[in-house]
Amino acid sequence: MVFNSITFLIFIGLFFPLYFSLKGRARLWLCFLASYLFYACWDWRFLGLIATSTVLDFWIGQTLEQTAESTQRKRLLWWSVAVNLGCLAFFKYFNFFLDSFQILLTNIGYSGELGSLQIILPVGISFYTFQSMSYTIDIYHGKIKHEKDWLRFATFIAFFPQLVAGPIVRAKEFLPQFERERKLDHERIIVGLGQVIWGFFKKVAVADSLAPFVDQCFASPTSFGSLHLFIGVIFYSFQIYCDFSGYSDIAIGLARMMGFDFPKNFRTPYFSKDFSEFWTRWHITLSSWLRDYLYIPLGGNRHGTFHTYKNLMITMLLGGLWHGASWVFVFWGFLHGMYLVIQRLFGAYWGQFLEWIRTPKVVRQLINMTLVYTFTCLAWIFFRATDFENAIQVISGLGNLESFNLDQVTNKFWVIKGFFLIGILLFIEMSDLRLDYRSLLVKNTVFRVASISILIWLMAFMGTFDSNAFIYFQF
Amino acid sequence: MKKWYWLIATVVILFLGDRMMGKLLENIVLSSQFRYSRMFRGDVAADILLIGNSRGLIFYQPYLEEQLDVKTFNLSYNGLPADLTDVLVKDYLDLYPKPKLVLIDVSLCDRINKELINGFATYASQSKRIKELIRNQDAKVAGGLEASWLYRYNSEVFQRALFYKNKSDEDWLLDRKITEEIKAKLSPDYEFIIKYPEEMPKQLGETVAYLRKQNINVQLVLNPYYPPFVDHITNLDEFIKDIESATQMKVNNYATAVRNEEHFGDFQHLNKAGSKVYLEQLIKDGLLETAKD
Repeated sequence: MVFNSITFLIFIGLFFPLYFSLKGRARLWLCFLASYLFYACWDWRFLGLIATSTVLDFWIGQTLEQTAESTQRKRLLWWSVAVNLGCLAFFKYFNFFLDSFQILLTNIGYSGELGSLQIILPVGISFYTFQSMSYTIDIYHGKIKHEKDWLRFATFIAFFPQLVAGPIVRAKEFLPQFERERKLDHERIIVGLGQVIWGFFKKVAVADSLAPFVDQCFASPTSFGSLHLFIGVIFYSFQIYCDFSGYSDIAIGLARMMGFDFPKNFRTPYFSKDFSEFWTRWHITLSSWLRDYLYIPLGGNRHGTFHTYKNLMITMLLGGLWHGASWVFVFWGFLHGMYLVIQRLFGAYWGQFLEWIRTPKVVRQLINMTLVYTFTCLAWIFFRATDFENAIQVISGLGNLESFNLDQVTNKFWVIKGFFLIGILLFIEMSDLRLDYRSLLVKNTVFRVASISILIWLMAFMGTFDSNAFIYFQF
Repeated sequence: MKKWYWLIATVVILFLGDRMMGKLLENIVLSSQFRYSRMFRGDVAADILLIGNSRGLIFYQPYLEEQLDVKTFNLSYNGLPADLTDVLVKDYLDLYPKPKLVLIDVSLCDRINKELINGFATYASQSKRIKELIRNQDAKVAGGLEASWLYRYNSEVFQRALFYKNKSDEDWLLDRKITEEIKAKLSPDYEFIIKYPEEMPKQLGETVAYLRKQNINVQLVLNPYYPPFVDHITNLDEFIKDIESATQMKVNNYATAVRNEEHFGDFQHLNKAGSKVYLEQLIKDGLLETAKD
């Protein structure tokens, strides 16, 4: 059941009236059952997996709190991490590692076939596994208390708005919110609904409208001129941004309407002036998860320059691998790791150089934004490509500058529509920084009615309604 | 309770705004010089009706009219499938006197094109048949078209109607020469298969039968391909045979009729100069003779 489907609209149309007509435990049961139903619509066979992860971490959390002995506590934590990562490794990475091992064996002269298993990737496993693990790790470190109510815990793990593609909400952010009384709140409904509609606009109007052009470029890069590919890469950068941040907006908006506050997952990432900033604006809940549960435990920047760079690279490589079982994702992580290292090495000199040539601050910022965006796009090519060969074809096509003219761009309909929609997106995001649409939505009824209507009209007029699944579902 | 009234206001404004803007766009579309706008407006009574997909766009009307001194109308569109052709032909015949000749490039049997059919929702308010075709192929889209009038204009067809708002679309054909890079793609192992869905020749057969029942002359042609490309089409004869069997008519095979490489924009499309050469050939062969009667 994808958000951009009639089934989901019916689901949500039934869920909300019921949700607000119930109270207390009955409401919690409704959330829990609706979440499991939502997940079962993808594949009911994996309900067992999510239930196992839930039961195990609930039990480990409880036992951790009752155990004072350090070795025993460590062992319990390892159990939680091993089972969660084990499930993730098996379902997501088994065939990847097997294939890679096979290639390695072939390269050293072994000719046998290792075979492979037919494994279906349970949707959202990377998200709920990280969410669940953060719970036991935080209890181990004494940051949170064990949740005594299993129903609350199970609802936290399976909460349907963010179950399949985040944001990754940690236990210490989510579980205390169950204590709060949640009434039908006018302001919450307005802000939540606004964010849901904005999310739908990003997904249905922008991301899905850019998708056909991007798919065409990457399916056969050698068939197109460099301008065509150039547009394709720009479109992909906005497709992935709108697809993923659109999902996050819908998830956060739905949760807000239900009375829950989720952390922001995106903050206009393409306006970043350096790569460290980019990672505080792109998929914020994952990057902060990796920072807190991987980078800092590895030593962070506490043990000198070399170790800082090493830790950055490890974090980014694993961050890349988290996205998918393919070496192109690892390479994407590698590129971002390199960007961060290079920035730390030369960033200060670059800043001094720009000051030395007396560029005004605004121009400096624009240059930096353009650089960050360009290198981010370069990395996106690997992220989107089916394999390295495909990525190299796109990069060579861009680099040779052949047919860099509008005549060689096919499907101009998609191009015109795509740039028009990107223009609207950027206009709204930039003006939001000054106007604060959220408070305008709450305070100004005319603005509220007009903005909601305009977004829905734009979706009807320009949206793509093929119920495409969100890109991040595969992760 | 009062604080929730904005929800009702939003629904009302959404609905009214959608209808008003839909109506406005309908007027804009109908005032366009784009071929289907002119057709549904009643401006294009013709002696020869020309039909095809992007390969049918090479039936260059101004030149044909100049050569034959007849009126022509070209119904072709990129990727036009046979089922949509059928609808457009029937709509044309409802609105105008019978043409003397209908010239069809049979390449239009090469695909099912649901996206384009949905795109023709732009003209749904003018044609019950288009509405019906959309409903038959996708009930959800048909529902969407009823729910939102703006949605009817969410297509490439609408963009083209805007593009040709104040200018003629009769020049809508390639005006470039095939490039060396394109030519280089024809390696010895290059293979091209015309993948035509089974139902499309059958559909074309029904359209042809309908036209002939109305006593309208029909000519089927296969428009030229870039000559070296033809050798790489593995099923050309089979394709022609299937069309002939479905239509019970001879297909005039002009696949290799234009030999000069300069006359092509790419493998499958003549450019403007090539189109003139080709039309001269059709005239010379007497295929368009009946239109002059």
